[in-house]
Amino acid sequence: MNEDEAFEYVKNTLRKEKITPYHSHELEVVKSVERCINCGLCISHCPVVAAVGVDRFSGPRSIAVELSRSPPEFWSTADVVYLCTGCGTCREVCPKNVDIPEVVNLIRARIFEHRPDLVPKSLHVLREVLTEYYLAFEPWEDKEEKNESRDMRLERLGLPFVQDKILDKAEVLLYPGCQAEERAQEVREAAKVILDHFDVDYTLLDDMSCCGLPSRLMGDHETERVLAKQLKEKVKKLGIKTVVTTCAGCTSSLSDISYRNEWGVPAVHILEFLAEEIGLEKIDSATKGSTEFSDVHVTVHDPCHLIRHTSRQITDFALDILRQLPGVKVTESEANDSCCGGGGLVSYHSDDVAKAVVKENMEAIQKTSADRLVTPCPLCTAQIESNLFKTGSSVEVDDLTVFIAQRLPKKR
Amino acid sequence: MCMSDSEFDVVVIGGGSTGTAVARDCAMRGFRTLLLERDDIASATVGTCAGMISSGLKYRSEPDIMKMCSTEVVHLNRIARHIIMKNPILTPFRDLSDVGSDMEYVESYSEHAEERDVPEMMFLTPEATIAIEPLLHPDVVFSVYYEEFFIDPFRLCLLQALDAKRHGAEIKTYCEVIGFETVNDVIQGVVFYNRITGTTEKIGAKIVVNAAGPWAPKIAGFSGAELELRLNKGAHIILDRRVVNVGISVKALDGRYIYLFPHENTTLLGTTALDTWEDPDSLVASFDEIEYLMRSIETYIPSIRDARIIRTMAGVRPLVADWKVPEGKVTRGYQVIDHENGLISFTGGKLVMCRHMAEAVTDIVSKKLGNDSACTTHEKPLPGNEADVDVEALSAEYGVSMHALERMRARRGTEMTKILELTKDHPEWKTTICTCEPIIEAEIRYAIREEFPQTLNDLRRRLRLGTGPCQGTFCTYKAASILSEELDLQGDDFLVDILDFRAERWKGIRPSMRGEQLAQEELAQGMYSCVGNLDQSDVDYDLKPWEEGV
Ligand SMILES: Cc1cc2nc3c(=O)[nH]c(=O)nc-3n(C[C@H](O)[C@H](O)[C@H](O)COP(=O)(O)OP(=O)(O)OC[C@H]3O[C@@H](n4cnc5c(N)ncnc54)[C@H](O)[C@@H]3O)c2cc1C
Ligand code: SF4
Ligand code: SF4
Repeated sequence: MNEDEAFEYVKNTLRKEKITPYHSHELEVVKSVERCINCGLCISHCPVVAAVGVDRFSGPRSIAVELSRSPPEFWSTADVVYLCTGCGTCREVCPKNVDIPEVVNLIRARIFEHRPDLVPKSLHVLREVLTEYYLAFEPWEDKEEKNESRDMRLERLGLPFVQDKILDKAEVLLYPGCQAEERAQEVREAAKVILDHFDVDYTLLDDMSCCGLPSRLMGDHETERVLAKQLKEKVKKLGIKTVVTTCAGCTSSLSDISYRNEWGVPAVHILEFLAEEIGLEKIDSATKGSTEFSDVHVTVHDPCHLIRHTSRQITDFALDILRQLPGVKVTESEANDSCCGGGGLVSYHSDDVAKAVVKENMEAIQKTSADRLVTPCPLCTAQIESNLFKTGSSVEVDDLTVFIAQRLPKKR
Repeated sequence: MCMSDSEFDVVVIGGGSTGTAVARDCAMRGFRTLLLERDDIASATVGTCAGMISSGLKYRSEPDIMKMCSTEVVHLNRIARHIIMKNPILTPFRDLSDVGSDMEYVESYSEHAEERDVPEMMFLTPEATIAIEPLLHPDVVFSVYYEEFFIDPFRLCLLQALDAKRHGAEIKTYCEVIGFETVNDVIQGVVFYNRITGTTEKIGAKIVVNAAGPWAPKIAGFSGAELELRLNKGAHIILDRRVVNVGISVKALDGRYIYLFPHENTTLLGTTALDTWEDPDSLVASFDEIEYLMRSIETYIPSIRDARIIRTMAGVRPLVADWKVPEGKVTRGYQVIDHENGLISFTGGKLVMCRHMAEAVTDIVSKKLGNDSACTTHEKPLPGNEADVDVEALSAEYGVSMHALERMRARRGTEMTKILELTKDHPEWKTTICTCEPIIEAEIRYAIREEFPQTLNDLRRRLRLGTGPCQGTFCTYKAASILSEELDLQGDDFLVDILDFRAERWKGIRPSMRGEQLAQEELAQGMYSCVGNLDQSDVDYDLKPWEEGV
């Protein structure tokens, strides 16, 4: 056997033994999990454990001290690791900074590679959509219908329509993410309203494609790489200076890939862009005059992907902005930073778990007696809204980008 | 002295790999067999070994032994595949001049590769080598690839003992042989101290097999015979989890080979080889051994010190007494010595050849006792290896997580269904007791009822209790209360057992304690001292030689 044949042989043996060698970029994560001292702090904070109990989801400690120890056995963790919402609460409370959400991704990637039959079926369906359309949702068949849906939403929310701007070169790329592109179109529209209002030189992609987070979360590294590469090429071509997004998941995912794949361009949430680039004063003076709205009592939900995967600073910005909006009263909920259950693709295959997780948020929201919940993420919005609706709550839910855009005076 | 009128054909002394294999073979050939072990099954040398059932590639100057090792691997894979894992292994080289005459290994290994169903040794490019193991030094110029099998040494011994029992043998642990009864210098009976009942007992024996490993000379001495061994200390460092993708074997600072082997859910770094005259009962790994291993592997895996060391373990190889040659040149074969006084002793040998050793001695026993039944130990499966196990189906049926069951399968094979059956009447026994392995309560109860443990340490050997990164920080009390309930232990016994268990862990933890394990030990100390108040306990407990006084 020559050396190449030998390498092929070895790779084949490793496959049979279900070993995917750790890549050098994964070693940091593996090292982090070696630090676990089994103190159990994380279990008492994990929202999934709290919601469904350790018999269903053995929790972050078990991921650290038990499930992540032996790669040839990773396949057998499939009944557990797909239930982690990736909220990052465990990592935040861990005295040893064990990076559980990333370990979960690392394990899922091995399961996806060696035992795809143990990956929840609905994730395979999602994968097919991603590989066919490069989007996390099947796009609208009929563009007219899509526009109608958009217009209905705009009308209901009292938002003006701003034409799509698709340029060859711009300062800012507005990246709405799959949810706002295909489903929660009002969020994408609201972002346009905001950027347009402050005369930002921005563009949309002429061909929106997913950042790859869903692929990463299901363990499909191959599709993740394809999507990340595509996006990098698009970003590079535009010569932009900043990527602005309205989705919490996209914020953390884009920051991550822009760093890993050396985009040389930061990716920020629109709240951060507003606070840091536009400035609170400008927002203040822009919204001062708006009298269209009656007083509203809101409470805020902090998306995990912002506070724990990016920075808690972003929701501080959210509060800063909300507090200076006229007629807006903010009451913090007891569970403002508790995972809504919508993360980690859990709701795709185990909706009962996702629902059990969001219950804590529901109760805390009711307790604030606010009329409205706002959150800077279309996915959290959808998860909380549908669950509040089902419990017959009168609390309304708005994406925060929409909420802010509504309060800007209509231009021209 | 408590006299017993029972008379055995064969009394085997020692419950290591050798003794349990002998008891199994003797029982399977129909001899009335008794095994006496002064401590627990697999409590000595065999429990400190790497569990490699090696192709014997290091013994290229002993072709017969290589052939035997290879055949034994085939047999073990037939009778005990449920407790065996395959390790792909790389031996990287940074310098062609390091290779020397080592290429002869390639040939000798490859000679018997086919029968073991592994490929011949292969050469890999530096790029391929680094892709397989990115932790390796970037200067690697090439590597050699081969495959070896690893067995769980504790389970192997226990399964051999259980199988012996199933074939009618009696297994007595905590019974220390302290002398023989002889008539005209010929052994008629064996005298032993029963540590459980606190009595001295005697039983009649036609033939005694001395499988006491490093203590074999002492046993021979009881009968007036002389036996010499070359005792050679070996230490391992145990790292948390599998830190390497495949096994790595490298040339150490002194030109020997050392290895870093993924083993179950840990990684073993070993081993050293030092001629020793220390008491094998209180040996611990020395600072020099730890540094020797770390510095040697560091030349190929520069970041190894970042990995978390959880503990060390040290044991003594009972080698054949060849002197005036380096340890590596001592035969790895074994000798069966018939003292012609009713006692037959072993010297040398290895875990991999325990079944072969047993066959050889049982052949002699058969001849002496006039029995011509053939050896079948290489054909009949050990308990649990009768069929494949469908972990997914069992998980769905019994509602226990797949990973817990996959680990249980690796310990027990088909036997695990008996444990799961217990959860039908006692669903609460699905509770996780040891979080790191993991182990559920039902398995602990089953092990206590069926596998004759007396202490927490015995449970550890059967279940890997407390062997994970936290080293028993959380499972000890839980397991102890189950053990007390099942064995009806009193309060003081319960505490002494906890102290014994902690002491035994400490023996391995202390020599290598550094880095992350310090934080772990701090937490464990908090648990046992501040929460459990064990440091203030007034139970009657003697400190072990490796523990410091107050
Ligand atoms: C560090 C190290 C690594 C090794 N790695 C490997 C390897 O990878 N592969 C391999 O094949 N081999 C390996 N070996 C060798 C192998 O472990 C031993 O050769 C083999 O396990 C010895 O088993 P045994 O049963 O003869 O001895 P032991 O395991 O020592 O058993 C002897 C038993 O006799 C009992 N006993 C002693 N005195 C009395 C008494 N008076 N009454 C009753 N009982 C008594 C003891 O308690 C003990 O349990 C290694 C050895 C060491 C030290
Ligand atoms: S990331 Fe969230 S859901 Fe997952 S284990 Fe940690 S706390 Fe639990
Ligand atoms: S909080 Fe951190 S150190 Fe403690 S058990 Fe959880 S992962 Fe381990």
